[in-house]
Amino acid sequence: MKDRKFGKEEVDVAVVGLGAAGSVLLCDLAEAGLRVVGIEAGPFWDPQNDFASDELHAKTLAWNDTRLSTGQDPLQLGSNNSGRGVGGGTVHFTGVFYRFHPSDFKVRTLDGVAEDWPISYADLEPFYAKIEQDIKVSGPREFPWGAFHGPYPYPEREPISGNAQVFRKGCEALGIKSTVAPLAILSAPYAGRPPCTNRGFCNQGCMPNAKFSTLIHHIPRALKAGAEVLSDCMATRILVNKGGLVTGVEFNHNGRNYQQKAKIVVLSAFVIETPRLLLNSACSQFPDGLANSSGLVGKYIMPHSGHDVYARFEEEIRLYKGTPVLAVSQDFYETDQSRGFVRGYSLNAHGSRPVGLARLAALNAGIWGKQLRELMLEWNHYARITLVGEVLPALSNCVTLSDEKDEYGLPRAQVSFSYGENDRKLIAHGIEKCKEILTAAGGQPALVIPDSAHLMGGCRMGNDPQTSVVNRFCQSHDIPNLYICDASVFVTSGGANPTETVMAIASRTAGHIASLA
Amino acid sequence: MYPGYNVLDLQDEWDPHTREIVNRRLGPFTFKLLSPWEQAMIKAVAEHLICDGREEILEWVAFHVDEQLAKPFGEAQRKPGVPPQKELVRRGLKALDLWAKKHFSEAFLKLDASRQLQLISSFQQGSFHKDTGWETDVQKEFFKKVLGLVTEAYYSHPWVWSEIGYGGPAYPRGYVRIELGITDPWEPRRVGTNEGS
Repeated sequence: MKDRKFGKEEVDVAVVGLGAAGSVLLCDLAEAGLRVVGIEAGPFWDPQNDFASDELHAKTLAWNDTRLSTGQDPLQLGSNNSGRGVGGGTVHFTGVFYRFHPSDFKVRTLDGVAEDWPISYADLEPFYAKIEQDIKVSGPREFPWGAFHGPYPYPEREPISGNAQVFRKGCEALGIKSTVAPLAILSAPYAGRPPCTNRGFCNQGCMPNAKFSTLIHHIPRALKAGAEVLSDCMATRILVNKGGLVTGVEFNHNGRNYQQKAKIVVLSAFVIETPRLLLNSACSQFPDGLANSSGLVGKYIMPHSGHDVYARFEEEIRLYKGTPVLAVSQDFYETDQSRGFVRGYSLNAHGSRPVGLARLAALNAGIWGKQLRELMLEWNHYARITLVGEVLPALSNCVTLSDEKDEYGLPRAQVSFSYGENDRKLIAHGIEKCKEILTAAGGQPALVIPDSAHLMGGCRMGNDPQTSVVNRFCQSHDIPNLYICDASVFVTSGGANPTETVMAIASRTAGHIASLA
Repeated sequence: MYPGYNVLDLQDEWDPHTREIVNRRLGPFTFKLLSPWEQAMIKAVAEHLICDGREEILEWVAFHVDEQLAKPFGEAQRKPGVPPQKELVRRGLKALDLWAKKHFSEAFLKLDASRQLQLISSFQQGSFHKDTGWETDVQKEFFKKVLGLVTEAYYSHPWVWSEIGYGGPAYPRGYVRIELGITDPWEPRRVGTNEGS
């Protein structure tokens, strides 16, 4: 740890985890003039030399530390829903950039399930708008769903892939509205970055830098504004004084422990590592873990149901070409009582590469041997739609500490997940709708591969300290100078890719922290 | 099939990092962990899982398994009660051989293809002989672990990319013609189907 900028100082804010949320916080706080340090477990990626156009190689971009995964529907972790390294998951996300709908924030009021968020759509609206403008989101002139109807800062992507064309054709035949996807991917040059070249490797790390990540946008801005980034530094403990306030972060770099003192600590380590760090930081003042007087740290975690529906077409579709998601529909997003379940989902026309398709067909659909070989020899004839389905929160879906230790001697996380009845009905409806769309486009539904995507919850926000972990500004109820700001504060999952909402919450929290200074 | 298409012919268009990664899959391979017998077992099992017996490809598949099991970092997720992947796979291969000897009085590697397939399927079901002391869940996890590693390796081999008509790494070139029915001039084409440019 040579050449430390703030090594001996107490900084204003230490941020743990530099993914979608932490990088936005680091950038906004540094630009507000605060002295900030970001502590990231993984490497500081260089896209040109560290990324490759290869699915196997891309596994290195994920958080691969072993977690114990259990429940009736054990979650696949790693590259399915996490990132490791500066930029976190934004390095390998598909770039689909949805706002949540106003209804997402008041599910209890509207549907009588889950809980309302302590914030509304209106609280996040200015931050959604700011972020879209900051990173030049491309999207349709008119977006027909939710509260924001466009236009987006940059024009929609054109052309769209064969898979997206088929999706839109099927939707049109059935009277379902569809649009080109809103994307954090450039449709025209910006800040020295080129528009997308349609190579399709968004999930493997964008090499031309056409796709936004916090690695290439917020981190350079944060550094320019004076922030310090510590990469390859695994936070192992949050330090607490006798008065019950946090004083900094202990982290491990190359096998040695160090401490960073800070007036405020923000945890942005995502849905599993954030609760794990809070629980692993238990001390005499907080024997059940930090910020855990409610007992809800690690509870109510939610993925999205992410089932893939494939149909075979006479003509070639070629799933590998183009940005993976170029067309979407949110026609089934809001509750419709006639369907027999509450809440809803987005449908994303979703491209694929050979390993992604074959591996999930084998592991999640039990297709192997001759059957898999024959499927893959014809894979250019398949189109795919992916569900992004809301999953309702349940207390039993949670992150806890296991008896197994990792290389730092810390208990590994155990993650338990099972779908509920509403979730299963929603999935069945979504699958049927995908089949109808693909059939209407001239395809033959052939294969449904169960899958999940994203993670949310585990340290939910709320007004009542007894039923939530943080308040409406992501400040922990128990420890005033400890903030938790990432997807773990989500109260419900929504039915849309969550990254834009994660970033909007982070920007709002940064504004709040800066206003205190 | 895509006659005349070889994705490796396009490699001058790839960035150097990707080119190096893909070419490494053609060998030669230096194994770090698995014994020659374990390598032979992985290849024998893999041949059934991927339905392809080409030695060069099986060698790469076994090497990938070796590399993944030898690496020091984690395996993303594991079910409680299931051993870490290195132990799971190595013990599983031994158990498979033991089961072959009990059931068919012959080493797994000496069995004909249909008997090997029968044993592998019993692992998938978790109906493997109880005498070997393996719980149903652990058998299934062994099968899934090997299936995942073998499948991801196989569909990362450039010969397989050529056969299934995958354009492969496309950086820095990218694609210009991404819509239905059209292809860039260098892309794989089935004879007499789609029109180029």
